[in-house]
Amino acid sequence: MPVYDVGYRTWSGGRAPPGSTAGVIATTGIRLAWTSHWLRRLVFFAWSPALVFAMSFFAFEQAIEEGRLSNMRDAARQGRNLDGVGMLGTVLADTLGQARRKTTGEHDPAKHVDPKVDIAQTRRVVWSRLLLAFMRVPQAVLLAIIVGLVAPSLISRDLRAKAWLVYFTRPVSRWEYILGKASILAMLVATITLLPALVLWLTGVLVSPSVWVAVDTWDLPVKTIAASVVLAVPTVLLALAYSSLTPESRIASFAWFATWAACWVAHSSLAAADVMAMQQAEEASARRAATALADRRAAQDPRYDATVFDEPGSEPVPPATRAERPRRDRYLWLKKAAGMETSIDRWAWLSPYHALGVVQAWIFGTEDRWEAVAPSLLALVVISVGAMAVLFNRIDAPTRV
Amino acid sequence: MADQLDHPPVRLDGVVKRYGGRTVLDGVSFEVPPGITGLVGPNGAGKSTLVRSILGLVRLAAGSVRVFGHDPAAEPLRVRSIVGVVPEDECSVPGLSGVEMVRFAARLSGLPGTEALRRAHEVLDWCDAGQERYRPVETLSVGTRQKVAFAAAIVHDPRLVILDEPTNGLDPIERRAMLGRLVTLARRHGKTVFVSTHVLPDVQAICDRVVVIARGRVRLAGTIDELTRTAVALERLEGDGPLEDLVGLLVARGLRARMGDGGPEEPGRAVVLEPPGPDRIDMVWHCAREVGVIIRSLSPLHRPLEEVFVQTLRRAAADDATGPAAGREVTHAGV
Repeated sequence: MPVYDVGYRTWSGGRAPPGSTAGVIATTGIRLAWTSHWLRRLVFFAWSPALVFAMSFFAFEQAIEEGRLSNMRDAARQGRNLDGVGMLGTVLADTLGQARRKTTGEHDPAKHVDPKVDIAQTRRVVWSRLLLAFMRVPQAVLLAIIVGLVAPSLISRDLRAKAWLVYFTRPVSRWEYILGKASILAMLVATITLLPALVLWLTGVLVSPSVWVAVDTWDLPVKTIAASVVLAVPTVLLALAYSSLTPESRIASFAWFATWAACWVAHSSLAAADVMAMQQAEEASARRAATALADRRAAQDPRYDATVFDEPGSEPVPPATRAERPRRDRYLWLKKAAGMETSIDRWAWLSPYHALGVVQAWIFGTEDRWEAVAPSLLALVVISVGAMAVLFNRIDAPTRV
Repeated sequence: MADQLDHPPVRLDGVVKRYGGRTVLDGVSFEVPPGITGLVGPNGAGKSTLVRSILGLVRLAAGSVRVFGHDPAAEPLRVRSIVGVVPEDECSVPGLSGVEMVRFAARLSGLPGTEALRRAHEVLDWCDAGQERYRPVETLSVGTRQKVAFAAAIVHDPRLVILDEPTNGLDPIERRAMLGRLVTLARRHGKTVFVSTHVLPDVQAICDRVVVIARGRVRLAGTIDELTRTAVALERLEGDGPLEDLVGLLVARGLRARMGDGGPEEPGRAVVLEPPGPDRIDMVWHCAREVGVIIRSLSPLHRPLEEVFVQTLRRAAADDATGPAAGREVTHAGV
C-alpha cells in the first residue's frame, strides 16, 4: 500500500449550491475545446479584422481633430483613399453624409454643413455603423465557421462516448446541461464578436480628443452586448440542436454549414429575382414614357420618326440598356452590412446571416422600420424556440431507449 | 440520517416499465436493505432498466420507487446526489485524464474545486490507480478505466453505490481487490451496495442478499444462505479414510446417510447425512473413530448459487410458458 493511501474516507465538507453544475460543464468544455490548435489559430485570426476597423476609428477621429471632416467626405466620394483606410472609406464617407443629414435634418447633400455643429452625434452614428459593419461582415462569417467547427462535437461526442451517463447519473438537470454546453459556445461567440467590438469602442475612445467621448457614446457598448446576445442565442441553440441529433459530429457539421449556405443561396436568389423584376419594371416604365413622348411628338409633327432621331440634328436616344445603367457600387455589400441600404430586404428572414444582420441593425439604430425588422426577428425567435425544443427532447433521449 | 433509519435504501413496489409494446419490468417489487445486495439475471432481464428506474432516468408505467424515502421521479437531483453509479457501459468525457474525470464527477456532484481535486486523488489512491490516472481515459486499459469509473462513482461519498458489472475486464487480483473495496464500503463505512452482475461467484463471495430477475420479473430473492440451502436440510461431512464404511455404520445405527454424488450440489468426496442434532453428534464422532475416518468438517449442505440460478431460470421459463399468473410466484425470503 502506498504511504499516501489514506484509505476510503467519508466526505463531510460542503456542497456547491444547486445550479452550479452548468458552470462546471462550461469551464471543462471550454478547457477541452481550447486544447485544439486549430481553434486557437482561428480565434487569433478572428481578431485581425479588428485592426482594420481600428484604423477607421483612428482616421475618423483624426479627421475630427484636424477639422477636415468635410474634406474627408469629399475625398471619399471622389473615390480617393482615406488615409489608408481603403474600402472602409466608402462606408465612412456615406456614413458621414447620412450622419450629417440625420443630425442636422439637412437633406441637401451639396450644401456644406460644418460637422462641428453636432460632432458628438456624428461620432455616434459613424461609430455605430463601423461597429455594425464589423460584427456583420468579418465576425459573423468567422463565427459561423468557428461555431461550425466546435459545436457539432459538444453533444454528439457525449452521445458517442456515452458521456451522458456521466452527467445524468449525477445531480445535473437537463437545463443545467444545456446551459453549460451553450455557455461554451457563448464564450466563444463573445471572444470573437463582443470582445473585439468592445476593444474597438475602447480604441475609439482612446484615439478621440477627450475621454468624455466614452460618456457621449455610452450606449454603444450596451448595443454591442445586445447585438452579441442576438447573434449568440439562435446560432448557439441551432448548432447544439444539430449536435444533439446525431452521435456523428461530422454529420452535425455538414448540417450546420449546409444550413448557412443553402439559406444564403435561397436568399440571394430571391433577392436577385426581386432586383431583376424591379429593373425590368423600370425599363418597361422608361420605354412606356419614351413611347408616350414619341407619340405626342408624332401627333404634333407627322414627319417625326421616333426610331431614328429624337430631335432634328441631335443624337439618337435608344431605350435604356443594361450597359448604360449606373455601375453597381463595388462596396454595396459593405454598405448593406453597415446598415446603409435603404430598400427593405424582404427575404432576409430566409437566411440566418441576413436575419441576424437586420436585427443587429435594428439594435444599433440604423434600421428603424418595423416592417423590415419583424420578419427577421420572428424567424430568429422561431429558430431559437425550435432548437431549444429539439435540444430539450434529445439530450436525454438515450436514457429512454 | 433520519431518513436512512426510517426508510430502506431502495424500495420498489409493483414497478412496470414498457418500451413500446414490450414490457421490460413487470410488477417488480423488492427492497434493498443496508449491506451488499446482488442483482443477477440473464441478458435482457431488465437489470439496466431497473438501475435506471432507481435513478429516475426512465418514466414508469406503474409502480413506485423510493430511494431512502425519496421518489426519484419527483426528486431526481436529490436522489442522484446520494447515489453513486458505475454503469456497465464505458462512459467518459473524451479528452479528460483519469484524475480530471474523477474531479469532474466530484464537481458535478457539488464538491468545491480544490476539494474535488484532493478527493479525486484520495479515492484514486484507494483504488490503486497509480500514475495511469494522468493519462486520457480513452487510452487507459479496461481495468484502469473500471477503477476510474468506480472512483468517480464514490468520490462524492454516496450512501448508496450501484454497480453494473463492476469486475468486467479485471484480472483475478484486481477483481479480488475490487470486491474487497465493496466489502469495505459496506461493512466499515455503512454504505449500501447494490451490484448487478453475471459473475455468480462474486455475488456468493460478497453479497448478503441476492435478487434474481428474469423476463422483467423477480423470480427469487433472499439471503445467500436461504437461497442456496437444500430443500431438505442435510449436512455434509468431509473427512479422510473409508467414508463408505462410515456410511454403512451410520445407517446401521439409524441415521440416514449416503455418499455424495459428486455433482454440482454435492461436489467432492463427502458423506451426506441428515442433521444429527446435538443428541446424536457424539454418535457420528464415535462411528468415524470406529471405522478410522478423520473428520475434516461437518457443515450444512448448500447448493452453488449458479445451480440455483439455472434452476430458477428454467422454472421461470416453464412458468411463463404455462401462463402469466404462474410466473408471479416469487420468493421474498428474508428480503
